[in-house]
Amino acid sequence: MGREQFTPMFEPAAIAVIGASANSVAAGNRYIRHLKAFGYAGRIFPVHPSAAEVEGLEAFPSVASVPVPIDYAYVAVAAPLVPDLLRSFAGRVRVAQVMSSGFGETSGGQALERELAQAARDAGVRVVGPNCLGVYCPRGRVTFTERTSNEPGTVGIVCQSGGLGIDIIRRGQNRGLRFSGLVTVGNCADVKPSELVEHFLDSADTSVIGLYLEGVGDGRGLFEVLRAARSRKPVVLLKGGRTAQGRRAAASHTGALAGSDEGWKALAAQTGTVPVDSLDSFLDALVALQCLQLQERPTQRVVLFGNGGGTSVLGTDALVRAGFDVSALDPGSIAALEALRLPAGSSVLNPIDVPAGALQQDEGRAAQRIMDILCSASGVDALVMHVNMTVVLSFRHIDMLGNLIDAALRTRNASPSRAHVVLVLRADGDADVEARRREYRQRAVGAGIPVYDELIAAANALSGVRHVEAYRVRIRAAST
Amino acid sequence: MPADAAKAVLRAARAQGLRVVDEPAAKALLASFGVMTPAMRVVQSAAEIDGSVSMLRPPYVLKAVSPQIIHKSDVGAVRVGLRDARELAMALDEMRIALAAKALRVEHWLVEEMAPPGVECVIGGVIDAEFGPMVMAGLGGVFVEVMRDVSFRICPIERREALEMLGELRGAPLLRGTRGRPPVSLEALADALVRIGGEGGVLPSLAGELTEIDVNPLIVTGDRAIAVDVRIVLGAPASEGAP
Repeated sequence: MGREQFTPMFEPAAIAVIGASANSVAAGNRYIRHLKAFGYAGRIFPVHPSAAEVEGLEAFPSVASVPVPIDYAYVAVAAPLVPDLLRSFAGRVRVAQVMSSGFGETSGGQALERELAQAARDAGVRVVGPNCLGVYCPRGRVTFTERTSNEPGTVGIVCQSGGLGIDIIRRGQNRGLRFSGLVTVGNCADVKPSELVEHFLDSADTSVIGLYLEGVGDGRGLFEVLRAARSRKPVVLLKGGRTAQGRRAAASHTGALAGSDEGWKALAAQTGTVPVDSLDSFLDALVALQCLQLQERPTQRVVLFGNGGGTSVLGTDALVRAGFDVSALDPGSIAALEALRLPAGSSVLNPIDVPAGALQQDEGRAAQRIMDILCSASGVDALVMHVNMTVVLSFRHIDMLGNLIDAALRTRNASPSRAHVVLVLRADGDADVEARRREYRQRAVGAGIPVYDELIAAANALSGVRHVEAYRVRIRAAST
Repeated sequence: MPADAAKAVLRAARAQGLRVVDEPAAKALLASFGVMTPAMRVVQSAAEIDGSVSMLRPPYVLKAVSPQIIHKSDVGAVRVGLRDARELAMALDEMRIALAAKALRVEHWLVEEMAPPGVECVIGGVIDAEFGPMVMAGLGGVFVEVMRDVSFRICPIERREALEMLGELRGAPLLRGTRGRPPVSLEALADALVRIGGEGGVLPSLAGELTEIDVNPLIVTGDRAIAVDVRIVLGAPASEGAP
């Protein structure tokens, strides 16, 4: 089966909608409205047994009566009707997605789910779902929910939960993520997550992959796909339901020691997949991997730079706990920083702590000079800059934060070592400060500088970056 | 072909109604995959000892083989450091009487060369519902039992991954030599891991026939890793009769 088989689902030229009502608002109606609002430019064919028109579009009594081949069929009809419906798709539909619930996730629904999978095979149609919400792809102008960005990006997501899929899109886009596609997969009766991972691995539009999985008996397939990929694209995995289930009573020592989590930990170690354990850490890692160019050596030495002594101390603790080296700079770099004659209260060893006012000296060039020295210091793998927005925004006559972001960008672009540059924007919760943070975040992430709310999130995201870098070094070393 | 012969052994054991393969058979199976095991002889009685141990180098270990006994040391079914055939015969008689008093039936007796001193390690394997065969490495005794200081990988593993597993153990400094103790052979330990969990190794080859394996302890010295005790738990009889 060709790996291009799922492209029609993300960028369909013709969509059939089964489960839209002629006189009320069903799931299919909402889907058609979302498509129209999102600017979908292809053709939509509502399928309805009796109505001539649905949502202002000509309706057809069956998929077979639609005049063109269907790339993607959206199915939201009662579960018992689904298998026969899928059989009617034979030769007419490339990929179908079944939103309906009432299959394997309910007691007594397993037989119907097996029937669905059999019907899919009989009809020669690949079926995503059942029990899911849909597909989002800004490039194909398809979406299954409202308020989704139409800006295409490079992050591809396979999500086993529909609701969490909406969270990933909405919270993710507000964090600066831009998606190549997101597919909710539900019960995975036919199409397995590993097949969609293969799709994203092969898709030229995708450079980072995120997975939310709960467990579908596809662990082995996923392991094999990821291992064969040799980390050619970074993958972040949020695994739900990491408690023991379905394991026989352990009859030996090893059985008792093997919790169901061990396999997922092993998968992370053996494939370079970044393991995370919350939605926020999932998004944090994806933002870093969307923005940063992975280095040839694992990120180890970090320079911390910003305003605020206590934050510098706590930030150093967070970075060291995450396994990074925040040791003092080399003597040459320290001398260069001292030559800048920073004001009293500054510290130049690492962390570099400079009062906000001093950063703006010499028409904003002071911060630029500091960052240039830090990024060219020998052995520095990453620069983490933290800014206390409450303080910085009190300098009302200048756009100090904008200048700092511009300086960070210039430094990153000029850095010979291409050290990672990461920004932490610390706010106080006031609405105006939050609004400014939002604005600066979009600007920085859009330019390729990942932004975090706190240092601990930055430290954890950087450790995800290091996980991938270190894996690549290990497999490279083993193959030479 | 070790895999085909090993499958036959496991199927035969299951046909006898066994849930666990007896120790001599489990060790022979492991040895056929290239894992080092102590030289051993199986005897039926004390009378057979004289003729059996002449090819073995002392000191010896004596073990009772019985499907009723899971933890041999708990019931006194293992004796170590026996110096000659006379001590072996005496130990066997004592053990026979003591086990009979506990109503434990002994099928036969295992006489082995005693492994040289080294660091006690553990290699295990399970067939995971999600990932299939998985291999485990750990340090023996209190490290595995109390600290759960173990590392798992999905099979088949490469040699690099075997070494990474060992590096992950909190007790790894004990393998590298600490407090005046010499280092053990990480190479030999990694080699045993690959023979059990690597391509063509025990677990990938026999995933359909067994459910769990424990090599505990695996004694690792400066130049080798010896499987001193092996426990293989058989699979459910569902696959029986399959070609």
